[in-house]
Amino acid sequence: MFIEFFYKLKSVGIPVSPTSFLTLQKALHKNLINSVDDFYTSSRTILIKGERYFDLFDQVFAHHFQGAEMPDYEGVEIDDLLRTMLEEWLRDPKELADALGIDEDELNKLSPDELIEYFKERLKEQTERHEGGNKWIGTGGTSPVGHSGYHPEGMRVGGESKNKSAVKVAMERRYKDYSHEGPLTQAMVGEALKRLRNMVPSGPKDQVDVDETIYQTMRNAGEIEILFESSLRDKLKIVLAIDNGGWSMDPHVEVVQTLFDYARSQFKEIKTYFFHNTVYDRLWEDPARRVKAKRVEEFAGNDPETRLIFVGDASMAPYELMGVDGSVYVSDRSGNPSISRLRYLSEIFSHSVWLNPVAEGMWHYTRTIGEIADIFPMFELSLDGLDKAITHLMAK
Amino acid sequence: MNKINKINKDEQFKGAKKYVLDEELAQIVNISMALEMPLLLKGEPGTGKTMLAHSIAESLKMPLIVLNVKSSMKLIDALYQYDTLTRLNDSRFGDSNRDVSNIEDYIKMSKIGQAFTADKRTVLLIDEIDKADTDFQDDMLDVLDQMEFDIFEIDKTIPAKQRPVIIITSNAKKDLSDPFLGRCNFHHIAFPDPKMMRKIIKVHFKDISTDLLENAIDTFYVLRDLDRIEKKPATRELINWIRALQADPDFKPKKLIKGDVPFLGVLFKKSRDYEAASNNVQRRRMF
Repeated sequence: MFIEFFYKLKSVGIPVSPTSFLTLQKALHKNLINSVDDFYTSSRTILIKGERYFDLFDQVFAHHFQGAEMPDYEGVEIDDLLRTMLEEWLRDPKELADALGIDEDELNKLSPDELIEYFKERLKEQTERHEGGNKWIGTGGTSPVGHSGYHPEGMRVGGESKNKSAVKVAMERRYKDYSHEGPLTQAMVGEALKRLRNMVPSGPKDQVDVDETIYQTMRNAGEIEILFESSLRDKLKIVLAIDNGGWSMDPHVEVVQTLFDYARSQFKEIKTYFFHNTVYDRLWEDPARRVKAKRVEEFAGNDPETRLIFVGDASMAPYELMGVDGSVYVSDRSGNPSISRLRYLSEIFSHSVWLNPVAEGMWHYTRTIGEIADIFPMFELSLDGLDKAITHLMAK
Repeated sequence: MNKINKINKDEQFKGAKKYVLDEELAQIVNISMALEMPLLLKGEPGTGKTMLAHSIAESLKMPLIVLNVKSSMKLIDALYQYDTLTRLNDSRFGDSNRDVSNIEDYIKMSKIGQAFTADKRTVLLIDEIDKADTDFQDDMLDVLDQMEFDIFEIDKTIPAKQRPVIIITSNAKKDLSDPFLGRCNFHHIAFPDPKMMRKIIKVHFKDISTDLLENAIDTFYVLRDLDRIEKKPATRELINWIRALQADPDFKPKKLIKGDVPFLGVLFKKSRDYEAASNNVQRRRMF
């Protein structure tokens, strides 16, 4: 029963497992489900394992049981973008017109319907062109049609479902808010970084060491000798190097700030340094990169267990990375190209990663990103990327 | 077999004194109980995930056993403890009535063990599972799936006498591992809408005046919807806030309409959020 429904869920990209489908059958078999309403709640609780998919589930359910319009992935996304564009348009017609590269007056002439049609056209065009490799959605981050993260509708919660049919509830699409990935918040960074720790015994000896106690007691011919040990504490040393110079990092300031704030509050033994674009002779302890510098060679004295984390977009002119005197600062030109400096750092720190706020899909557009990724394992500064980076950092 | 599985009318969960339950959630709890599967609850902090387990226990008159997961926890800590030191002590002095050669005398059940060995069916709440690492989660689900675990020291298998009703909560935005999810039912508790909230507040404050109720809830939802708030105040904060308002003899509900909102610190606990909220309140008062 309901096999078709199951496959429909699968085909829209909800991870549903056959086991859970069998569980649903079991529930049906036991007469636990007696109405469509029951079926709606039960099938959702059994089949769907994340609130992210609740919205899609609602749509498929409404479609399957009432023939509502099937969720069309492309359509949904364009829909959201479209709404964002319209909002933007209402707020500041000129800016949007500029971003689309057309005359504001020309847009003003269109009727609302025509306007929407026009936006749709442009968006479709954009999807196609984007795949072709032309960066239509800007790298500069000024485009108003940047990646959404914006939810046109506020929290809408159904609350009671008593008086409504399941299909109606499903059609309300109460879970729309959860279906997109939001921006990286501090709590999410915290979750990802939780695993970054190195437990070593330290502090007062206040825990009974059972093995040692037994051993010593036996040696004492049964006279009890209780031994204590220190409990395990986190003693991970981290060097965090942040690219805070140049306009290319500007769009990413917020997410880097989040990471930085969290790291500062969470890790006791953290050293933060700053650089511009890439590392030459020195890293700076002050964000202005003027007062306190540390020479790259000095890092060799660090504990080899220290984890080195770079945060930067790794995007620059190739000569800045490869040139013998590539630095934009004259005082930094010691004759070593930056790339050999980075290599040097990767050798002193056995555990290092480079977190890049640029979306992974865009990496191959910038040559220096590839070069640096050859030296440091590079991960996207997103929840997923952070997770992978931490796994890499904690690997033995 | 079939008879046992059929839900007895008395055994159905219909909400408790201090918990306002929506139909949907009741259905989910009942079906999870009937299928004997753990129910994984997610949702914003303060939406009553933990409270749900308490109210199930209360309304079905089952004992509640709470396992608060800690980040350093190992699975064995949740199952049983082998008290080596006492045994060592007894073997040296021999003045207790425990039998030193019988290791079983030195095994103490921890939370999951207690739920398994209890004579009555219990509600087992595993709170904040996301704190522990993935291995712990997967191993624990193995135990809960098979409804038995081994005590290695005495080479004995402890089966569950009664399958406990298992409620697991998680605050994580991140998904738990696939094998874990595969063995649970899932529900996400959404934040209650104003209508539901009124009910919830009425349950907690029996003799609250309509004036205070309406104004407090209106103000609360306005403040909750402010931009740039990182930790939004939840039901728990609202309840505490109303309690604070009631305790203040100078407070009058009319003040809230005018934009005079006292005790913001009860609602906003992060200094940045607090500032944002109090700025907003002051601005509203000016106009």
